[in-house]
Amino acid sequence: MMLFRLISWPYLRKHAVRSLLTVGGIVIGVSVFFAMHAANQSVFGAFQETVRRIAGATDLQVSAGEPGFPEEVLERVQELTDVAVAAPVIEAMAGTGRAGQGNLLILGVDLTGDRGVRDYSMASGDQAVIDDPLVFLAQPDSIMVTAEYARRTHLGPNDRIQLETAEGSREFVVRGVLQSAGFTRAFGGNLAVMDIYAVQQVFGRGRRFDRIDVALARNVPLARGQAAIRAAVGPGFQVQPPASRGQSFQSILRIYYFILNFSSAFALVVGMFIIYSSFSIAVTQRRKEIGILRALGATRRQIALLFLGESALAGLIGSIAGVFVGFAAAGVMAGAIGSILHGVYGFSQGDVAIVPGTPLVALTIAIGVLTSMAAAGVPARSAARIDPVLAMQKGPSAMLSAGESRGRMILAVVLAGFGVIALGATRSLGWFYAGYLCVMLAPVLLTPVLAQRLSRILRPVLRWLRPVEGALAADSLIGSSRRTAATVGALMLSVALVIGLAGTARSSYKNIMDWANSALNPEFFVTTSPTLTDHNYRFADAMTPRLEAVDGIDQVIRMRTPRIDFHGEVVLLMTGELEKLAARSPFKSISGNPAEMYRLAASGQGVLASENFATLRRLAVGSVIDLPSPSGAVRVPVVGIVRDYADQQGAVFLDRSLYRQRWHDDSIDHFRVFLKPGADPEKVRATILQTFSADRRLFVLSNAEVRQYVAGLTNQWFAITWVQISIAILVAILGIINSLTVTIADRRRELGILRAVGGRRGQVRGTLWMEAVGLAMVGLILGLAVGAVHLYYVLELTFRDFPGMRFDYVYPYGVALLLIPIICAAALISAIGPAEAACRGSLVEALEYE
Amino acid sequence: MILLDNIVKRFEGARQVTALDGVTLEIQKGELVSIVGPSGSGKSTLLNIVGGLDRPTSGTVAIDGQRLAGIGDDQLTLIRRDKIGFIFQFFNLLPTLTALENVSLPLHLRGWSKSKAQARARELLGLVGLAHRIEHLPEELSGGERQRVAIARALSVYPPVLLGDEPTGNLDTSTGREILALVSDLHARLGSTVVIVTHDPGVAASCPRTVRMQDGRIVEDVRR
Repeated sequence: MMLFRLISWPYLRKHAVRSLLTVGGIVIGVSVFFAMHAANQSVFGAFQETVRRIAGATDLQVSAGEPGFPEEVLERVQELTDVAVAAPVIEAMAGTGRAGQGNLLILGVDLTGDRGVRDYSMASGDQAVIDDPLVFLAQPDSIMVTAEYARRTHLGPNDRIQLETAEGSREFVVRGVLQSAGFTRAFGGNLAVMDIYAVQQVFGRGRRFDRIDVALARNVPLARGQAAIRAAVGPGFQVQPPASRGQSFQSILRIYYFILNFSSAFALVVGMFIIYSSFSIAVTQRRKEIGILRALGATRRQIALLFLGESALAGLIGSIAGVFVGFAAAGVMAGAIGSILHGVYGFSQGDVAIVPGTPLVALTIAIGVLTSMAAAGVPARSAARIDPVLAMQKGPSAMLSAGESRGRMILAVVLAGFGVIALGATRSLGWFYAGYLCVMLAPVLLTPVLAQRLSRILRPVLRWLRPVEGALAADSLIGSSRRTAATVGALMLSVALVIGLAGTARSSYKNIMDWANSALNPEFFVTTSPTLTDHNYRFADAMTPRLEAVDGIDQVIRMRTPRIDFHGEVVLLMTGELEKLAARSPFKSISGNPAEMYRLAASGQGVLASENFATLRRLAVGSVIDLPSPSGAVRVPVVGIVRDYADQQGAVFLDRSLYRQRWHDDSIDHFRVFLKPGADPEKVRATILQTFSADRRLFVLSNAEVRQYVAGLTNQWFAITWVQISIAILVAILGIINSLTVTIADRRRELGILRAVGGRRGQVRGTLWMEAVGLAMVGLILGLAVGAVHLYYVLELTFRDFPGMRFDYVYPYGVALLLIPIICAAALISAIGPAEAACRGSLVEALEYE
Repeated sequence: MILLDNIVKRFEGARQVTALDGVTLEIQKGELVSIVGPSGSGKSTLLNIVGGLDRPTSGTVAIDGQRLAGIGDDQLTLIRRDKIGFIFQFFNLLPTLTALENVSLPLHLRGWSKSKAQARARELLGLVGLAHRIEHLPEELSGGERQRVAIARALSVYPPVLLGDEPTGNLDTSTGREILALVSDLHARLGSTVVIVTHDPGVAASCPRTVRMQDGRIVEDVRR
């Protein structure tokens, strides 16, 4: 402690700005980690809370994924002696057109039985609508809202409320206001109750339910009740306690978690590098001090502990600050998760309060402190190994010894070799990641050597630009490979990570848009919502002939694309008229004979699997899968594997005939409309709207609009790239400021001599500016090269690990070119302060230095 | 007290340099010895090896009967800590610490409490005539005063061996003389074994024994 006060504290205080920058590195890493996990926990918590409140006294829920199931299943459950109450439910989101009030979660229930699982105490209105459900049933425009919603929107009994329905905007009458307790507090109170049969009608659900909420008879154990219901409904149903719905939620968000973890790891790695860089420079700068301490009897352990203690303190302060910054950012991220959930899956979530748990705060601080100590571990070790004799000698010692360079080269070659072997020799993910780590470590080890060689190559260029300043700047870079390695390494890794991410974004965007151009090629998409993902409303099959009859339409393909549970994961079931799809919008075949696979799938003898569905589950053509349906498991072979980017968990394509037969569902969520040659698209669009919009909620999206929507979703996933580019620039600035500060300390005498022999201040300034730009260029060149390798690995891992999608390699030249002026400008900006300090320092003191 | 037997020290690099070439030297307890010689003769290297800051390529070193060959770095550090005090030409004081803190630093490295370390540091600063400067930073002291602080620091644990590498080399003649007088006085009062590397013939002449070095070898050993 005393040593810390005597040695570390004065240094940290003297270099307050650098100390703050070090702490800043931890703040960056920790805040991103905390924000992402706090947002995720809060969104997940809110979802669980909504499920819990809506579930009421429900013990078990019977469901069959998004398609739901026919009404008659209810009778099979109700007949069981273990079941006390079996209440059917439909949940649907509906717009109200009230600005700023959000959507309403419509809970369609059968009040006759539902009071056995949920409490319907009225705050105001006619209690008769509850006590005698027939009153409610007799008036299908009845709706009950919660006291919270009524208060916010100034609604009372017998007021009217507009709702978006499958039949267009319709008016409903508030028959009652429910007390604010129990399930009515779910979803922030944005909840309304309607009769389930009215919901079937107005949301186009046919004679189907979403799920059955079951209260078991007294003293019936959960497992027994579960087994009895499973036996009654068959294997196509999920029979789970309400809390297990969180699994589906987690499954849906798996890709988000993947990006979340990747981004957290990125931020922590960048934070580590800032700390590593700061401590490496501090060790270089404090070499003499360490030498003195060693000469006075400080043991290696004491020196190492001194640096580790400093890093732990920086980690603690940075972590605490990071928690606060992360807390502020978590709200924004929760909004982003909500936006993704809504955009991709049609889920809507009410406003989410960020309530981070103590374990997350403790974990974040622990990670911050440990990360900081781990990052400072290598510099602390270097400090402990400093030779006191060399350390106390005059002048800088920033060159690597020949032996150390050779050792690093050998180790780098070994690591890179292992990485290449691990990539090709096995499909094991563990080996792949180990190889990936080794391949990325190799250039880090080589940084001093590579930086020195590149500086040599840059010397003529810098000299050509400014003969004196350029040569001095280049010589300083060449002669200080140890000092500059930390900055170059941090910059290199940061640029490489940006290239990896930007490249992934670019590759996926190009591949997805190529796919969209071929697979989503109809002129129009006639849908029930402004997106292709919101399946709250559905079309009846009876609408098809009327649509086909519209003048100018050549062909209509009926599509129903629900998500179903497949071995605990939510996957997309793409059902449509496959024969027509094969002719109009064929997918790129990855495995299987294209003509044969479509023939078999169209005749219901098999299914097509998307490439990622097959990769994630290790399936091949010929593999047999069991798809859960209300009529039991549908056991079908995979007859072909196609490239498709519709869903991160994967998609299964099956013919509409098979779907109708086994899922008993003939509803449609969108039509793909192809026009006759020469037909006027605008005229056709107008005719469709004119024909249907009077009695139907309907949107006609053009091909360009859908592709724009897909592009928007794709970009949404990768918006974080720009945050990371900003972090990379920040790293560049921090690193270069650090490096130049040490450069000036080391070269004070040299710069003093330059001025003493007639060098102008401008020349000193120019020397340091050129050194900063040289440093940035070296880091950039290495980063762009390492980034190319990193991108290859990231694309491999998106294929081998998750989401199992294959993207062709596309190097992000645009971002690479953009980084050159940005990083160089950052270097120049960060050189201003140190250069001015060098110019304005006392010449006499500089010449007397040491 | 100090025994060097056939010490060889070579520095590896682009060209191999032999700094010490078979040096054998014995210094008795309580001796005050100066080592002189031209630049590059190996005198500082010899001092570093005696002080346990560096290790010989071959040969044997023993301090106070303890052989330094083959012992680990931590053990060598402990010997340095308990038996050897250093006085450097450029003082090597930590610029952010006051005189009192600089002198108490080695004691803190030994785990002494703050009050005990400061009491000893005050005593030593009084011994070197700087009782009135204890709260001054090195930059607020003259060259001679800085070297006095460095001497006080070297004496902090009353080590049996005191090594000076050009202790007057960075001082003017009269201050250098004062420092030398102080070292001689402390040597007489504390009975330490003192070895001083110097270029200054005056400093060398004031020591009862002078060892002259050239090209890594001892060429003369004079006792007065």
